[in-house]
Amino acid sequence: MSSRAEKIWNYLILGLLALVVLWPVGTFLAAALSPDRAGRPSADLQWGNFVTAWENAEFARSMTVSLVITVSVVVIGVILALMGGYAFGVLGVIGDRWFFPLILLGMMISLEAIIVPLYYQFRTLGLTDNLLGVILIHLGMGVPFGIFWMRAAFRALPRGIFESASLDGAGPMRMLWSIAVPNLMPAVYTLVLLSFMWTWNDYFLSLVFLHGDNQTATVALGVFQGKYVTQINLMAAGGLIVAAPVLILYVIFQRKFISGMLAGAIKE
Amino acid sequence: MLLPRKRRRGSHANRRTRRVGLLFAAPGLLLYAAVVLWPLLQSLQYSFYKWDGFSSATWVGFQNYVNFFTDPVLRSTLGNVLVLLVFFAILPIALGLLSAAMITSSNRRGMAVFRWIFFLPQVLTSVVIALIFKRMYAPEGPINEALRAVGLGELAQNWLGDFTWALPAVGLIGTWVTFGFCMVLFIAGASSISPELYEAARMDGAGPVREFFAVTLPGLRGQLAVALTLTITAALRAFDLIWITTRGGPGTSTLTPAVALYKAAFVNPNVGQAAAIGVVMAILCLVIALVITRISEKE
Repeated sequence: MSSRAEKIWNYLILGLLALVVLWPVGTFLAAALSPDRAGRPSADLQWGNFVTAWENAEFARSMTVSLVITVSVVVIGVILALMGGYAFGVLGVIGDRWFFPLILLGMMISLEAIIVPLYYQFRTLGLTDNLLGVILIHLGMGVPFGIFWMRAAFRALPRGIFESASLDGAGPMRMLWSIAVPNLMPAVYTLVLLSFMWTWNDYFLSLVFLHGDNQTATVALGVFQGKYVTQINLMAAGGLIVAAPVLILYVIFQRKFISGMLAGAIKE
Repeated sequence: MLLPRKRRRGSHANRRTRRVGLLFAAPGLLLYAAVVLWPLLQSLQYSFYKWDGFSSATWVGFQNYVNFFTDPVLRSTLGNVLVLLVFFAILPIALGLLSAAMITSSNRRGMAVFRWIFFLPQVLTSVVIALIFKRMYAPEGPINEALRAVGLGELAQNWLGDFTWALPAVGLIGTWVTFGFCMVLFIAGASSISPELYEAARMDGAGPVREFFAVTLPGLRGQLAVALTLTITAALRAFDLIWITTRGGPGTSTLTPAVALYKAAFVNPNVGQAAAIGVVMAILCLVIALVITRISEKE
């Protein structure tokens, strides 16, 4: 086999694909640093664009909103997933023959199927334009994947550790928090990354539910770009600010991120 | 290990732990029931009414469903989804297979860099992706500038504003975002294919292309099913990218069911119609997922 030729072809094609992926991102990055309003790349790097964009779009407020929502959803969501996964994976649940298929169904239900009644019901409850409303929806939609994901992790643990702990007189709470959870950190970690990314990157839900002062960063960016059609450089800088938290996570945890996305392929 | 657990099922102690189990699962289950299952049933109910969101609703039976398949604007969304399938499903899966095959067969260090680059679009916020491509496709954007630079200036145009080009242009964004995800899925699948199969193929004198069709592709059936399900439903559900880049325009050339749903629910409220679109989308997604799993398991 001419494996040398094969190798060269591989590098050529992969290199070309990499260029196709990086070109749009690269020009966007260059635009964000450009002094030119049209965003043409320039050697004169304007780091100040980020500051200007931050101030003009009042990102301080929308980023705080996004952060509050994301952190609440991640923290509470992981606790719900741990408790549910422990119940379904270790303790057993009365009625699980009904509950578990219902949970699997939940992973296939998309937001479009429920958004209409959610909006009009939440409006009568005063939960539209309210962070609590959006947090509750994110949490409820995340329950199926969270339980599914943590249940698999709990089942992979050797049962012996629960049996010996229960002989030592540990109650179910003790077993969960001081025996199971420390052994499950890799799975928890992936769940944290995925749910952070899914919540932070959400657009549809916040577009429908949050307005004005309660806008999340993704929605605020959408409004910002409408206002600044002529200042491409500021718009690009704003885009990078909004993408930054997940991008930073991606750079730091790239391996976990990719394997986590894979395991989470069932959702999304 | 399995047997004693089963035998214990009916015993008193086990009933008690399972009751505790229900208690542990209850907070999540209740929340899920309240914000997902209950609204799902309500969607069905809403879909049989005509309602503008404020005044009182009137029962219209299946009219909203009939509308979805007969109203020219609403029906055009289905045609658009069919075109989007090429860009959201077929192209990304083909490119994902190609790059996964090349990355796994080379198996050297540099390949991690490619994997990292191809997966990058997957972590970017859809708003940012939409903005990146709005600029790429703009009349004075990088794509048109590149065309002019190589002397193909007459091809330059406002890609997202053109009746013919807007849909493929938006579709290609989907290809750009999704293929890295498909690739990662296929790399993971390929790693579980036994190396002996490859050795046997090489012994029989198979080149990389034949090896791919004889060994890699059959070994990836499960991953292909997952990729197809996810990408097809993504095409059906496309919202963010389209709403930010074209709002469904020009005309209705990039309108998708999700954009039509958003407009019917919140822009010009026809709430029952929106609910019906949501129900149809949910049923289509469910059917697609079931059919694909069924087919992939049968062979």
